[in-house]
Amino acid sequence: MSERGRRLLVFAALAVAFPLALLAALSFGSVPLAAGGVLRSALARLGLPGATPLPEVGEVILWSVRFPRVLIAALVGGGLAVVGAALQSLFRNPLADAGLLGVGPGAALGAVIAVDLGWAQERFLAMPFAACAGALLALLLIYAIAHAGGRPTLAGLLLTGLAVSALAAAGTSVLLVATEEFRVRTVLFWLAGGLEGRGYEHLALAASFVVPGAMALLLLARPLDVLALGEEEAAALSLPVHGVRILVFSLCALVAGPVTAVAGAVPFVGLVAPHALRALVGPPSRRLLPASFLAGAVLVVIADAAARSFGRYVELPLGSVTAFVGAPYFLVALRGQEGRG
Amino acid sequence: MSPVLEAHGLWVARGRRAVLRGVDLSLQPGEGVALVGPNAAGKSTLVRTLAGLLPAGRGEVLLENRPLAAWSRAAVARRVALVATEDEAPGRFAVEDRVALGRYPHRGPLAPFTVEDRAAVARALRQAEIEHLGRRPLGTLSAGERQLALLARGLAQEPAVLLLDEPAAHLDVRHQLHLFRVLDDVRQRGVAILAVIHDLPRAAAWASRLALLDGGRIAAEGSPALVLESGAAERAFGVAIRGVPVGDGRERLWRFEERA
Repeated sequence: MSERGRRLLVFAALAVAFPLALLAALSFGSVPLAAGGVLRSALARLGLPGATPLPEVGEVILWSVRFPRVLIAALVGGGLAVVGAALQSLFRNPLADAGLLGVGPGAALGAVIAVDLGWAQERFLAMPFAACAGALLALLLIYAIAHAGGRPTLAGLLLTGLAVSALAAAGTSVLLVATEEFRVRTVLFWLAGGLEGRGYEHLALAASFVVPGAMALLLLARPLDVLALGEEEAAALSLPVHGVRILVFSLCALVAGPVTAVAGAVPFVGLVAPHALRALVGPPSRRLLPASFLAGAVLVVIADAAARSFGRYVELPLGSVTAFVGAPYFLVALRGQEGRG
Repeated sequence: MSPVLEAHGLWVARGRRAVLRGVDLSLQPGEGVALVGPNAAGKSTLVRTLAGLLPAGRGEVLLENRPLAAWSRAAVARRVALVATEDEAPGRFAVEDRVALGRYPHRGPLAPFTVEDRAAVARALRQAEIEHLGRRPLGTLSAGERQLALLARGLAQEPAVLLLDEPAAHLDVRHQLHLFRVLDDVRQRGVAILAVIHDLPRAAAWASRLALLDGGRIAAEGSPALVLESGAAERAFGVAIRGVPVGDGRERLWRFEERA
C-alpha cells in the first residue's frame, strides 16, 4: 500500500475508533446500558421522532454521570497527547512527556496549593489557573536547567524531569501533611488521577482550556516542525526560536494545567499516543497532532471505562491504569531509542 | 556588478573572546568563494554572522547594499540560506517534508503552501539530483544523500546567497564530486556561494576565489593559486605548500608538507 493510503487508513481507523470508544464507555459500567439503548436515547435527546429514551434510572446514569465523565476522559487524553507531541518536537526528543518532564506533578502542586490555601473553595477557576502556573513553572525550570549546557541529551532531559517531578511531589507531600483532614481526600486524588464524581462543570472547564489550547498548538504545526530541525537551522529559516518555545510552553501549560486540575495525574498518555502514531503517520505536526489527539482520547476513554468497571465497589485510579499500560511501553521504546544511539 | 553580500570591518565576539577581528569580504552574484583557514580561525563564526545569526560587535554586513539589521529575519532568510555540516532533523522526516520547510521564510507559520512552493521544492530536489529519494525517511539515507537533502532545503529557499559550513566534511569522494557539481550548477544560475572547505585541493579546484581566514582576519584573498602560493597560507596552516603545474599548466597539483 502507498504511504498516503496507509496514512488515510490510520486516520479512518481513528475516526471510527473514537465514536466507538465513546459509545462503549457510555454503555460500560456498574449498571450496564445496551449500546443500542444509549444510541436511541441520544437520538431522542436530539429530538428525532421515533427514538425512545431509556428508563428513568438509565437516563440519569447516562446523562448526568457517564456522559460528562466520558467526554472529560476524551479531552484529558486528547489534550495530554497533543501536549506530548508538541513537547517532543520542542525538546527534539520522541520520549519527552508531560508526566516524565514534571509538568503533571507541577500542575498537581499548583492545584494542591490552591486547595490548601482555600482559593479553590472561593473561586472555581482558582484551582485550574494555579495548576497552569505550576505546569508552566515546571516546564520553564526544566528548559532552563536542561539547556544550561547546550542541547540536552535524552538522559539529561529525563533526569531533569525526574528531579523536577520529585521536587513537586515533595512539595505536594508537605502540603498534604499540613492539610486539614477533610481536604485530604481531595488532595490525594491528584496523586492517583481519576474522574470519579466529575460532572458538567468540570467538562466545561476542561473543554474551555483543552479545545482552544489544542487548536492553537495545531496552528503552530509548521513552526514546531521547523523547531524540530534544531535551533540553528530554525533561526536561519527566520523562526523566532525563543518566542515560539515560550508560546508552545504556555499553550502546553494551558492544556496540561486544567487537565490535571480535573483528572489529576494521568501519566504516559502524552508519550504513548504520539510515539505510536509517529510511526504510522510520520513526524510532520500537521498530521501527528490531530492523530495524537484522537488516539489519546480513545486511550483514556477506554482506560477510564476499565478503571470504573474493575470492581463493583471500588474504582481503580485512572492514573494507575494508564501507568500499567504506559510504563512498559516506555521501557520498550527507551530500549529502541538507545539502540539507535 | 554590485556585490550581493558584503562584510565591512566585521568584529564578532563569542563570549569574551574576539573571534573575528575586522573582516572585509564581498560576494558577487554567481561566484563561488571558498573560505579556508586553520581550525579556530573563525570560519563558522563568519558564515553565521553573514547569515544574520550572530550579531556584529563592530562593522556591518550589507545585504543588497542595506545593513542586515534593517531587513526582517524572514526577508534575510528568503535571500540568504545557510547549510550546516550535519543534518540534525529527526530521522523519520521524509526528505520532501524536510526540504519543504525551506519555504518557511516565504510562507510563514500559517499560510498553506502554494503551487509555487511545491514547484520550488521539486526544483530543489531535481537540482540536488535526489528526486528519487523524496519519500524516503532521512534516517534511511547515506551521509552523502542526507547532505544533499540538507542542501536541497537551502535551494528550496531560492536564495541569492548560499552559505555552506563544511558541506563535504563527512562525504566520500563520489558524493563530494556530486555535491560540488550541484554547487557549480547553482552558481551558474546567479547564486553567490560562500563555502567553508577544509580540503584545500578541493577548494582550489572548485572555487573561483579563495578567502583565507587566519586569526579572525582575511589574510589573503584571490585566485586559488595566488592565495595558496602567497606565503600567507603557509603561515596560517604552518605547513609548506607547493603547486605543481599539470596538464596545460593552468591546473595545479597541490603538495603539503610539515615544516621542520
